[in-house]
Amino acid sequence: MNNMKYSICFISFFFLFMMMMVNFFFMIYFIMNDMVILMEWEIMSFNSLSIVMSILLDWMSLLFMMFVFLISSVVIYYSKSYMQSELNLSRFIILVLLFVFSMMLLIISPNIISILLGWDGLGLVSYCLVIYYQNLKSYNAGMLTALSNRVGDVFILIVISWMLNYGSWNYIFYLEFMNNDWEMMMIGSMIIMAAMTKSAQIPFSSWLPAAMAAPTPVSALVHSSTLVTAGVYLLIRFNMMLLDMFFLKLLLLLSGLTMFMAGISANYEFDLKKIIALSTLSQLGLMMSILSMGLPDLAFFHLLTHAMFKALLFMCAGIIIHMMNDIQDIRFMGGISLYIPLTSLCMNISNMALCGIPFLAGFYSKDLILELVSFSNLNLMIFFLYYLSTGLTMFYSFRLMMYLMVNDFNLLSIFNLYDEDYIMLKSMFVLLFMSIISGSFLSWMIFSYPYMIYLPFNLKMMVIYVSLVGGMLGYFISNMKIYSVNKFLMTYNLSNFLCLMWFMPNLSTYGLSYYFLNLGQSLLKNIDMGWSEIYSGFGMMQVMKKYSVFYNVYQMNNFMIYLFSFIIWMFILFMMLMFNN
Amino acid sequence: MYNLFNSNKIFFFILFFSTLISISSNSWFGCWIGLEINLLSFIPLISNSNNLFSTEASLKYFLTQSIASLNFLFTILIKLTLMKNFEMNNFLTIMMNSSMLMKMGSVPFHFWFPNIIEGLSWLNSFILMTWQKITPLILMSYCMNNYFINIIIILNIIIGAIGGLNQTSLRKLMAFSSINNLGWMIMSISISETLWIFYFSMYSFMISILCFFFYILNMYFINQLFINNMNFLVKINILINFLSLGGLPPFIGFFPKWIIINFLINNNMYLMTFIFVMMSLIMLFFYIRISYSAIMFNYMKNKWFKIYIKNKYFLFINFFSFFSITGMILSTLFFY
Repeated sequence: MNNMKYSICFISFFFLFMMMMVNFFFMIYFIMNDMVILMEWEIMSFNSLSIVMSILLDWMSLLFMMFVFLISSVVIYYSKSYMQSELNLSRFIILVLLFVFSMMLLIISPNIISILLGWDGLGLVSYCLVIYYQNLKSYNAGMLTALSNRVGDVFILIVISWMLNYGSWNYIFYLEFMNNDWEMMMIGSMIIMAAMTKSAQIPFSSWLPAAMAAPTPVSALVHSSTLVTAGVYLLIRFNMMLLDMFFLKLLLLLSGLTMFMAGISANYEFDLKKIIALSTLSQLGLMMSILSMGLPDLAFFHLLTHAMFKALLFMCAGIIIHMMNDIQDIRFMGGISLYIPLTSLCMNISNMALCGIPFLAGFYSKDLILELVSFSNLNLMIFFLYYLSTGLTMFYSFRLMMYLMVNDFNLLSIFNLYDEDYIMLKSMFVLLFMSIISGSFLSWMIFSYPYMIYLPFNLKMMVIYVSLVGGMLGYFISNMKIYSVNKFLMTYNLSNFLCLMWFMPNLSTYGLSYYFLNLGQSLLKNIDMGWSEIYSGFGMMQVMKKYSVFYNVYQMNNFMIYLFSFIIWMFILFMMLMFNN
Repeated sequence: MYNLFNSNKIFFFILFFSTLISISSNSWFGCWIGLEINLLSFIPLISNSNNLFSTEASLKYFLTQSIASLNFLFTILIKLTLMKNFEMNNFLTIMMNSSMLMKMGSVPFHFWFPNIIEGLSWLNSFILMTWQKITPLILMSYCMNNYFINIIIILNIIIGAIGGLNQTSLRKLMAFSSINNLGWMIMSISISETLWIFYFSMYSFMISILCFFFYILNMYFINQLFINNMNFLVKINILINFLSLGGLPPFIGFFPKWIIINFLINNNMYLMTFIFVMMSLIMLFFYIRISYSAIMFNYMKNKWFKIYIKNKYFLFINFFSFFSITGMILSTLFFY
């Protein structure tokens, strides 16, 4: 265990890092030569239907895989120190590796059946990881996560059955040619629904903050590049087909609302990990909404840059939580930049990248997205959802920064903050580097020609306006005194609504199960323990017992009566015999 | 085994041969003589001067059997005088059948049967439940009134199932089970004699294991199964043999019932089949109630006795139980 070289973490890290390098070079090669490789392995074939395992390697899947491998390798390296005293470290690492493997299956396959393999694998392994710390809260969160994702699995299954029409499940062949088909429209709607569950869009978003019960390295992996981006990635692959669909407009609205909702809720939240989770939700909403406007490569771009700085953010949060004696409440933190400057450096840079401070990773993608939003033909509501959410991102990021870095340290008078865990720091510096350069690197790599953007001055400056306002608000709200916080009680219901994610956790847990549990109870009482009991098992038993008792009364007669009745019976027969003749 | 190898030997001999006399006789009088000898040889077997109950049982047995024989004799005499020993009449067959039913303890005249078996040892109960039924059944098959007999069969099946439901005495329970199985036997003998032989031999086989078992363990009531600390294998053997008796498929008891049901359906007797199957469900219920609670519910309870069975008979039991389990599967070897 203590020997770094031969620990499971180091071996996995090395393997994943090598895979990352391989993918990186292949990606460069593929982009340069504009290559695509499609491999098919036919597993079985019947009635002109073939079940195949397909592998599609193009620059997109290779790039995405490279990022997943990079983040997972770094996360596993980080776990070496973070999960140091964990008894079941091997299980943990194996689960993470399985998670990465499922994600690979999902990324490389253009076949809906083999996608389901990765999709279900993600759901299952994410459940195992969320309940990794075995307590009641984790179990609830895990169940919520698993069941929400299960809805998406069901939609994928429905898609599989719909695609039986076409004789193959390789969806890429049908995206263009079957575009106007009614069945294809149904398939598209199902795919959108499935992606909405995986990427936690509005009706299904309650599982994402709940999944924070998982260990922090898992959160870093799940919320950056793997689980939640699976839905976005699937929609990116399907985007060609979905463009003309009405359902995509609905997705635009829902994802815009998700972005807005998550931004507001993050401002009410005091749990460090939950704030970051909600910011992930907000960014996912951003990706989904830009995707539903028909710009998949921008969504992919933001997905990748976001993966970098979000993983870094979670890793910083992990270190901070470790040092804070496992306390996640940001009100106890403050002034930590004085004690742990390197971690604070990473934290601040990733936070700023999230906000879109120029020339960090997030800037390239977010700025481009928002300018294209201003550029395109949208109604006012969607427009304001985008810009308000951008402001809100700034808002909660600055609030978080102020709470963590600037204010007074509020935990205990005796504490031990140190910045010398070099295993964690080394892994974080990799991502720090990436979250600085990945924006420019990707924008040069992905886009073969720059977007032509053409805006009036105020619209162009809109991003800066909302960001400045958001940052100022974040600064002010972090200095808010306790009696001002109490004034939220004046708008108690509104505050409840906003800070409880628009009641979505309640709706998808208690609100959903309440009526069914009631119904189940009444059915249990009336049918199972009531009528069906009376008319089958128990009632039968009662009737039989009654008859049996009735019969036993006859059995208790005097012996003579039996004999006498037999003789009478014979006598009657004899008489009838006589008179018959 | 107390009276099998002592002075009662001669009565056993007479008991067996009286049955053979009556079933191989070619006149009704010969049958009657066989029946009377049978009665008079069974009485000394069951009466025990040390036991009041068995004395009472022998007296009751004598009364019922003699009245039945009397009526049988009366019937054959009427047949001789009125019908010139030639033709049969509906009422005459009913009379004949009734007296035979009385003799074997079938339903409308069965009230003596649980009463008497309550005073008998397990070995005598076994003889009463199996061997003593051969003669009346064979004699009844000579002149059957089908309308009457069908009603009797249904009554047998139902009373046997329902009467045994509330019993706590194992002998009474076996008596009612025997009444139920008598319904099956009458049905089988009314279809074909070979079928009856098959059913009867299988039934005797299963009953013999159970009776021998209870005889060894000296068990007369259900709660004795619960309060004794028995080997688990012993209990499992009891369960298997009870299930076999009830006619649960993998065991051999299902085989004769299966064949009878097959014949019933071939003869379009669907209602009969339905009643048979449903009532054997109730039979199975109380068989299971005995053995299941002995194995499952009361297994961990405090026991009052500890029984060590380490004698040679136990090997027999295991051997027969083996047949009970695998008999049906092994029997397929005959039909390749």
